Amino acid sequence: MDLIKRYKVVIVIVISILIIVLLRSFSIYHFKDDAAKQAMPSVLKTNLITIEKTWTLSGKILLINLDETIPSGLNLFEESFKISADSILRKENLNTIRHFKGSILLYSSDISVASRIWMLLSQMGYKNLYILTSEPDNEILKHNFRPDTLPEPEVSSL
Amino acid sequence: MNIREKFSILLLCIGLILAFLPLSGKQSLSVKPARLLTELLDDKTYFSSDQVAKFVITEDSTVQLVDLRSSKEFMDLNIPGSINVPYKELLEKDPGTFITNKNMKYIFYSNGDLESNFAVCVVRGMNYKNIYVMKGGLNDWYDKIMTSSFSGDRITARENALFETRMRARNLYNNLNSLPDSLKTKFIEEKHSSARKLDGGCE
Repeated sequence: MDLIKRYKVVIVIVISILIIVLLRSFSIYHFKDDAAKQAMPSVLKTNLITIEKTWTLSGKILLINLDETIPSGLNLFEESFKISADSILRKENLNTIRHFKGSILLYSSDISVASRIWMLLSQMGYKNLYILTSEPDNEILKHNFRPDTLPEPEVSSL
Repeated sequence: MNIREKFSILLLCIGLILAFLPLSGKQSLSVKPARLLTELLDDKTYFSSDQVAKFVITEDSTVQLVDLRSSKEFMDLNIPGSINVPYKELLEKDPGTFITNKNMKYIFYSNGDLESNFAVCVVRGMNYKNIYVMKGGLNDWYDKIMTSSFSGDRITARENALFETRMRARNLYNNLNSLPDSLKTKFIEEKHSSARKLDGGCE
């Protein structure tokens, strides 16, 4: 008891720091360590999925629609939520995502929005997230470039 | 126990806490998620192909295009003035190695919309504010700039200006990407070297 009394200031400071650090490290409302590791599915391109391929996912599926309206083709998912992109970080929405035991599909008619939200949530440590898209070949160049190798005519030849 | 000894014990305890923390020393996002989300949903983080074409033809020195595709794809073709930082490498290295000027706008592009938007999320999350995306990527560049044509009897001044910009950007793109690889490499290196010299200022 004597020891604790003598070092009480040190003990209080150390315990406070320990609590703050642990809360920060394991909090679900902050970004995780190692951005490259959290982003790996985007490098391997395993985070994209089409409607036709959703049958390959095991377990339950939750569709999160980031738009105001949902296309009729996406009504086939039993569990779906409409969560606008700007409210994705609300506590109740994050809890829904965190507690869902299965695969979560993010959909937006603008793939840029869906991809940004995917990366944001992945960096916060959420797993089993996919971007639902109708264009899995988005990153393939759809045009062929033909080099212009024709010589320019010389002025004197005109 | 005097104050010096107490302070030493305090430092020792903090050191022990730090030693056992699950920190990998790797790069991670440092801004708050809510702030990053606000930035990511702002339309000002996008530039259209036409805006990028304007930067290219005016050789705007406040803009740096960053091609996120592989080195091979970059050497096959790229938008004039671009530097190449493959997406996988960007995730692994410190963005500060190529984002060296906070007064410049760094515009990321890839073939489509995915990798550029992933990258902008990560890099802005590391507190680099001047990072943007060319919407639609090279596919949109092709659709708008490379295949642009005019039909009809009349053209407004605005349409004419847009068409001119697209034509000039297309010519620059064709000229650069028609060069053989050896000349293209030299051209790109010369461009970057002269840009670095300009940054040096008066001596």
